[in-house]
Amino acid sequence: MLQTILTHPLIRTLLLFTLAVVCLSFLASLFAPLLIPIIISFALYAILEPLSSRLERHGLSSTASSLSVLLLLVLLASLSMSLLMPHLSAQLTDLQQQIPLVWHTVMAFIKSSSQFIAQSIGLDIEASNITQPFFEQANEWGKTALVEASNLLISFALFLVLVPLFTFFLIRDYRNFRNLLMDFLPNSSFELGWLIYHRVAQQLQDYIRGIMIQSGIMSIITTTGFYLIGLDSPILLGLVAGLLNLIPYVGPLLAMVLPILLALGHAPFEVWLLGAAIAVILIAQVIDNVIVIPSVIAHAVNLHPVIVIAGIIIFGNLFGFIGMVVAIPLISTANILFRELFQGIKRSQRKQQQDLEAA
Amino acid sequence: MSSKKHPLWHNFFRPQGDRLSEVTDLWMDTPLFESIPHRKCRELVNNMHPRQYIKGEKVFSAGDIGASVVLIRSGGVEIMAGEKLLAELVTGDFFGEVALVIDEPRTADAIATEDSELIFFLRSDLEEWIQRSPQDGARFMLNIARVLAARLRHTNILMSLQGEH
Repeated sequence: MLQTILTHPLIRTLLLFTLAVVCLSFLASLFAPLLIPIIISFALYAILEPLSSRLERHGLSSTASSLSVLLLLVLLASLSMSLLMPHLSAQLTDLQQQIPLVWHTVMAFIKSSSQFIAQSIGLDIEASNITQPFFEQANEWGKTALVEASNLLISFALFLVLVPLFTFFLIRDYRNFRNLLMDFLPNSSFELGWLIYHRVAQQLQDYIRGIMIQSGIMSIITTTGFYLIGLDSPILLGLVAGLLNLIPYVGPLLAMVLPILLALGHAPFEVWLLGAAIAVILIAQVIDNVIVIPSVIAHAVNLHPVIVIAGIIIFGNLFGFIGMVVAIPLISTANILFRELFQGIKRSQRKQQQDLEAA
Repeated sequence: MSSKKHPLWHNFFRPQGDRLSEVTDLWMDTPLFESIPHRKCRELVNNMHPRQYIKGEKVFSAGDIGASVVLIRSGGVEIMAGEKLLAELVTGDFFGEVALVIDEPRTADAIATEDSELIFFLRSDLEEWIQRSPQDGARFMLNIARVLAARLRHTNILMSLQGEH
């Protein structure tokens, strides 16, 4: 009985899949302190590897081409840091100081609105009582997010050393290391293993490249838009919008919160600024959905929206912002791995059955 | 334990250059690499995957998903369709080239007839190479088309001869 259950293709797939997940989780917990630089390095590898291959095609050795790509990366990063960093830290400080004022203005706005409603239709909804706990909580979250962002800037110094180093070695040695690991596969699973790896790698590479390009485009559009309408901290808001856009479905909604709150808290309050801030976000979303997504990341992952949203919520709850960003690539990888393992095991059992029958 | 027999010692102590040249020469002698520069073939061979098989071990079975063409570096392989022997292959021969072109299951069994070293050239590596070197990639694909056309012609002749008898 137990033998029959254990040899069922679905059960065998589940067992193998669980084993793979446990091994990967163990590795992830082992490398936990280095996980974020590793993820960023892999994302950079996915973007820069084609450039390195192009250089190799022109006769450069793998070390020389990896070094050239790394130098280019460091140069671009230093240039953008020297240009953006002073503005960004100033805008972060401004925002930190502005938050109490924003809450105060928003509260005053809600209070006057509820008074207006009470006077006009005689309905006393005591909006401030309802919203007070929410805003107090949101205020805490906002402060925590800013402290987190400041901490991130501090650990950024460490990332500045680790990420280029990891990226260089990934570009130069990833293939050899991968081949070495794949050589451990038994002969019977060698081709299937490579097939699964190739499908997963292709899909992940397409997704990472697509989402990074999409995030960059969204940052540029929203920064320009916020700057043109005169909203405070446009670079910071644009970068936050770009980063949040890394999270499908949920991210664009979250990206709307900060600019709207800043527009609401702008002293003196101007309706057109609120409308303009919403218009910038909507225009950016339209461009994203109509032009960027279809041409850059369409079909990169083929998952049902419900699975995507559920995955984002679960991973976000477990691992925070990074969890929300890596949720889709991880679910997509798990999906391919499970499907291919199941098909492979089914095929192999069918063949064994046929051989037995023939004998 | 003989260093010649054990793959671990074999891999560690055999000069890599020799091995690379030998496998490159074997591939260059196949119709797949006709008109392709030796240097390019050598680059490609550097990323290929050598595997050891013992006598009687299945390399693949009909119905398995194929992902590579296989070259026999040493030993031998027989290709079987059920009980029928289709071909006996020796050092320098290659098989399974259809998997480089289509993502379909293998149509025959391949079994090592003696302890063998086989070199796998994966479709994913070929696709990367085509992107890197489109001209050589195009030549390679033309060579595959010639090989497949020759096999098809051979099969047609065999079938028509069987029909006559």
